[in-house]
Amino acid sequence: MDNFFQMFPTVPFDPTVTGQGLWMIIAYPLAGALLCGLLGKTLGRANTHLIALGSVGTSFVLSVLAYWATCDRRAVVATPIGLVPWSVHGDFGTWFAAGSFKVNFGLSVDHLSGIMLLVITGVGFLIHMYSTEYMSDDKGYWRFFSYLNLFVAAMLTLVLADSLPLLFVGWEGVGLCSYLLIGFWYEDKEKAYAGRKAFITNRIGDFGFVVAAILMVLLTDAITQSPVQSFGREPSSAVFASRYQAGIDALGALSFPVIAETARTVATLEEQTIASGPLSGHSFQGVVTVTLLLFMLGAAGKSAQIPLYVWLPDAMAGPTPVSALIHAATMVTSGVYLFCRISALLVLSPTAMATIALIGAVTALWAALIAFSQVGIKKILAYSTVSQLGFMFLGIGTGAFWAAFLHLVTHAFFKACLFLGAGSVMHGNAGEEDITKLGAVRKEMPLTWATFLVATFAITGIVPLSGFFSKDAILHAAHSNVLTGYPMVLSLAWVIGTVAAFGTAFYMMRLYFLTFEGKRSPAAKVAHAHESGPAITVPLVILAALAVLAVVQGIPFLHTPEGLQTVFQAFLRPVFSDAAAISDHVRSVHWGEENGVPWGTYLFAWCIALAGGAFAFIMYKRNRRLPRALEPFRRASFAKFYIDEGVDILILRPLRGLSMALYRVVDAVLIDGFAVRGTAWVTARAGAALRYFQTGDAQTYAAVMVLALVAGILWALMKVAS
Amino acid sequence: MNAALDSRLLNLVIALPLLFAGLIALWPKRESGQIRSLTLIGMLASLATTIAAFAKFDLHSRQEFQLEYRTAWLSDFGVSYHVGIDGLSACLVLLTGILGPLVVLSTWTFVKDRVKAFHLAILIQQAAMLGALCSLDTLLFYGFFEATLIPMYFLIGIWGSEERRMAATKFFIYTMAGSVLLLIALLGLYYLSGPPGGRSFDYAAIYNALTTATREIAASGTTDGNQLSTAAFALFRYGPWFFFAFALAFAIKVPMFPLHTWLPDAHVQAPVAGSMLLAGILLKLGTYGFWRFAVPLFPAIARNWQVLLATLAVIGVVYGSLMCLAQRDVKRLIAYSSVSHLGLVMLGIFAFTDEGAAGSAYQMLNHGVSTSALFLLFGFLYERRHARLLSDYGGIAKVMPVFSALFLIVTFSSIAVPGTNGFVGEFLVLMGAFKSNLPIGLPAVAATSVILGAAYMLWMFQKVFFGKLTNQENMQLQDLRPRELVAVAPFIVLIFVMGLWPQPILDVLRPSSERFVARALYGSGGNLDVSKVRIRVLPAPIGATPTSTPAASVVMK
Repeated sequence: MDNFFQMFPTVPFDPTVTGQGLWMIIAYPLAGALLCGLLGKTLGRANTHLIALGSVGTSFVLSVLAYWATCDRRAVVATPIGLVPWSVHGDFGTWFAAGSFKVNFGLSVDHLSGIMLLVITGVGFLIHMYSTEYMSDDKGYWRFFSYLNLFVAAMLTLVLADSLPLLFVGWEGVGLCSYLLIGFWYEDKEKAYAGRKAFITNRIGDFGFVVAAILMVLLTDAITQSPVQSFGREPSSAVFASRYQAGIDALGALSFPVIAETARTVATLEEQTIASGPLSGHSFQGVVTVTLLLFMLGAAGKSAQIPLYVWLPDAMAGPTPVSALIHAATMVTSGVYLFCRISALLVLSPTAMATIALIGAVTALWAALIAFSQVGIKKILAYSTVSQLGFMFLGIGTGAFWAAFLHLVTHAFFKACLFLGAGSVMHGNAGEEDITKLGAVRKEMPLTWATFLVATFAITGIVPLSGFFSKDAILHAAHSNVLTGYPMVLSLAWVIGTVAAFGTAFYMMRLYFLTFEGKRSPAAKVAHAHESGPAITVPLVILAALAVLAVVQGIPFLHTPEGLQTVFQAFLRPVFSDAAAISDHVRSVHWGEENGVPWGTYLFAWCIALAGGAFAFIMYKRNRRLPRALEPFRRASFAKFYIDEGVDILILRPLRGLSMALYRVVDAVLIDGFAVRGTAWVTARAGAALRYFQTGDAQTYAAVMVLALVAGILWALMKVAS
Repeated sequence: MNAALDSRLLNLVIALPLLFAGLIALWPKRESGQIRSLTLIGMLASLATTIAAFAKFDLHSRQEFQLEYRTAWLSDFGVSYHVGIDGLSACLVLLTGILGPLVVLSTWTFVKDRVKAFHLAILIQQAAMLGALCSLDTLLFYGFFEATLIPMYFLIGIWGSEERRMAATKFFIYTMAGSVLLLIALLGLYYLSGPPGGRSFDYAAIYNALTTATREIAASGTTDGNQLSTAAFALFRYGPWFFFAFALAFAIKVPMFPLHTWLPDAHVQAPVAGSMLLAGILLKLGTYGFWRFAVPLFPAIARNWQVLLATLAVIGVVYGSLMCLAQRDVKRLIAYSSVSHLGLVMLGIFAFTDEGAAGSAYQMLNHGVSTSALFLLFGFLYERRHARLLSDYGGIAKVMPVFSALFLIVTFSSIAVPGTNGFVGEFLVLMGAFKSNLPIGLPAVAATSVILGAAYMLWMFQKVFFGKLTNQENMQLQDLRPRELVAVAPFIVLIFVMGLWPQPILDVLRPSSERFVARALYGSGGNLDVSKVRIRVLPAPIGATPTSTPAASVVMK
């Protein structure tokens, strides 16, 4: 393992100094957002995108520096709890503190967040560039770039944060920007509604996040209040307890180093129950499981998993670059990032892992089923995103964090490429989104076609593109790992995932064939499409190239003590070492045997992808009719299985009805009518004797009161004077 | 400034608005422009004094109440003029000071008739609120507390909308009922405060006397009140009734569910200035009352009823949110959102934990900022259109982009997006409630405000600002004028400063919230140490040897 890291060059500067400048990575896009937002109208278009691109570009350069710094072995952060290798950290004072609770403005970069930084600023820059052409005719040009910059700043806050509350700032910040950008064309009622739906669905998840974060604090309290002897920690329990307390005092209970330490401690506590405090009577393990499930609710909101996925397809109402950046490459992967961040905690609970794996697998299949029959090019890609995110959660649930994260990165490349390609197609076809009204775009838009095809192969899982290795690594883990206490869950998830992979190949090739091949549809808005300009095609080419090149991260050719590993896995090892150690300690995951390159599963996965593609080829290139027996299924799939209608009837209408009923009955009749007037009536009857004073006119009362008060004051003043 | 001036600073804080009110009273009626300017100057001067008071507040001092001033006044009745501020009241005083000039700016062009009387009312209102927040004599507090009602009654009743008479009457009757209870309770306290001849309305004296009695009851562990001294027995026997009187009086003011029905009517009918003052400060007098009087004076009884009151608070949170979803009237919606937000404040208070207390104090300030800002902004729209229904609007973002952007920021502050002020308070309140001994379901239900708040606020925002401009009357709306921008700007600044840099304020609140929790928990679990909770009793008058011994200065043993 050490040999691996020897490969990295030593940075020519002290890596720890980058920690003090981490705030600048966020500050540049934030300043860009403010400048574009406040002055964009006066600055003009060219200056606006110069500021927007410049700020993200600068952020990218700074991110590269920070990333580079974490590759140096001198980059070690000293915390009261212990040393954190391969990371840099900057502390910028206390955000807020009350009672025993504290949150710092602490930013840190390690290999995990370093990769995220590069993806966000790199892909972000390309999409900013793309937007200069794509949005060139829009009246809200400056507003668009202001929101987009703000989004980048929020997303960077999310990954740089070294504590849950600060992460939550980014978490809600990206949700806010997503709200603004989905509803960017707010004059359209549908689009404004889609933005609101996205934000409120996200908020359901955030409810889970907030409660989970608070439960983490309670858990920390429960540990510090437990008798010291109960921890089997090295070097001694007393030393541990004092270090732990020092860590909480310095960094706050919700900082990630403390959370990792909490996880390590709970691992030693086994089946003990909490003795005092609000959680008394519950076991540490049980609390961790509930906390993780609540975090999963949060992640399901942000990353569009069942049951909170409904907002993402509607979010396509926003401009296409937004769909590429926010609703494919970055924001929607926050949930995956969150679980990678707290992986040490997750491996404590096989229950939570099994739940997450199942949710991921089922979402992957479910979204693929809906994608089968959609006709909107962006709608299909949106469901595809939901499905691919499902694969990532499946990876998280199996404990293959690196694989999930690799899929996050490769997905960012190929899905951004697909969305931007779709945007390019729409741009060249007078905004047509319906794939049944396109066709034969291939010859007229060669660059768009080529890049789209590469990205389609990548997502389908055709060797040797990156998507194959990342998706296969997840399915492989699901196939070989076993969760303690849930022997069949991962196998089941593997089956579902494999079917979903077949589905992916089918709907993607369907999309490809209908859009690029065949004859031009007679219903097309324009007879001939035109290729987009360089601001659009250059990002496409770069992203397609990245989708190919990322493959080097996914091939297991590195010989390590743990067997053959991919570069990515070895590189992320320091981040997930806690999780590995804890899962070995509590035996929550039984890791499958690694014997060389898994040629067999590779071949199987490849066949699955080919079969899906071939099926689509037969149906759409050869124009075979759908068997009649499947027609009801197609209709149901086209209607998204009536989920939106169900939610409306079962949840939203009853809620509004309840509100209305309470307002009309409780407020108006029970309280105002019965209680208040009743009291008044009784008082009036009881005070009948005082009828002459009771004129019923409040102004008279007020006048009497004023008089009395004035008299009182006068009298009081006289007393003072005397 | 030297000590003598320091100790008189609060007198200036209270008197300055009155001074200007006097000036306005003498001013010719026709010069409405001059009256407005003069009121603005008065409010700005008042702001300066409140800033000075806040700056003078020393958070490292071991003195609970600072800038104290006490002089003999109505000593025959055990009353004295006694003012001073602790961390919470320092912050609320500052908030009142900040709102003052903004309230004047909010109605610069809106109020056209009886301009003089209107500004007179605002200034008197300002003085009364500042007085109530600074009072350390319970009867003085009562006087100011009552005095806040009268200008507000006129603000609603004269300058309100179409059904102003009904709303003003409802407001007055409701709050008068509370006030009567408060007066009865205060008179009761007077008798509890000591043996005949040693009685006083002074807050410190009453608190110390009641603490001594609480300690005796807790130490004896009595169930029937036998063997208690007279004072302790009186507390044992009548304490719950006094607590209820206090709780009811303040719960109406907050308002807590189910005593909230006066608030929507009052807000809907009140002019912008009235709504801002009502939401900004007046409601806080209710929560402040719980914090200062009801809980610390009767800790054992408050603990007995902790779960009930916390449950009502949580019902308020959810119920208020649901009410918002049923509204068609924007102002009524904002009013119901107040019920929800203040439910959260009450939950924080009745958590009796450091985080909860600090959070609820912070949330009081947040609500003052966000909700007044919402009323202010909607007031600008109302002034242009004279319509309050959601259906009257739609597509406003098109014609008033700056206004919409600002409204959106305030909306997000109101639904507690982190980075704005709302988040810090809400998060701390919820954490405090989870950490408390309340059943864990209560804070969990209260946390749904995260969802519901977003649901109703964004629904309202969409109805008003998004969609197509369909209503002819909305086509020609003018965006914010410079004067209006000046009135909104401080709110926007506060929203971000309080969201990103809350610690200076939390540091000021910390001693107060720690004392509050210590007092609320006094007598529970064998905790009988009075040294941490006792309040120093300031002799009256200070600095001079009293010629006779006024009843109020008798220090209770």
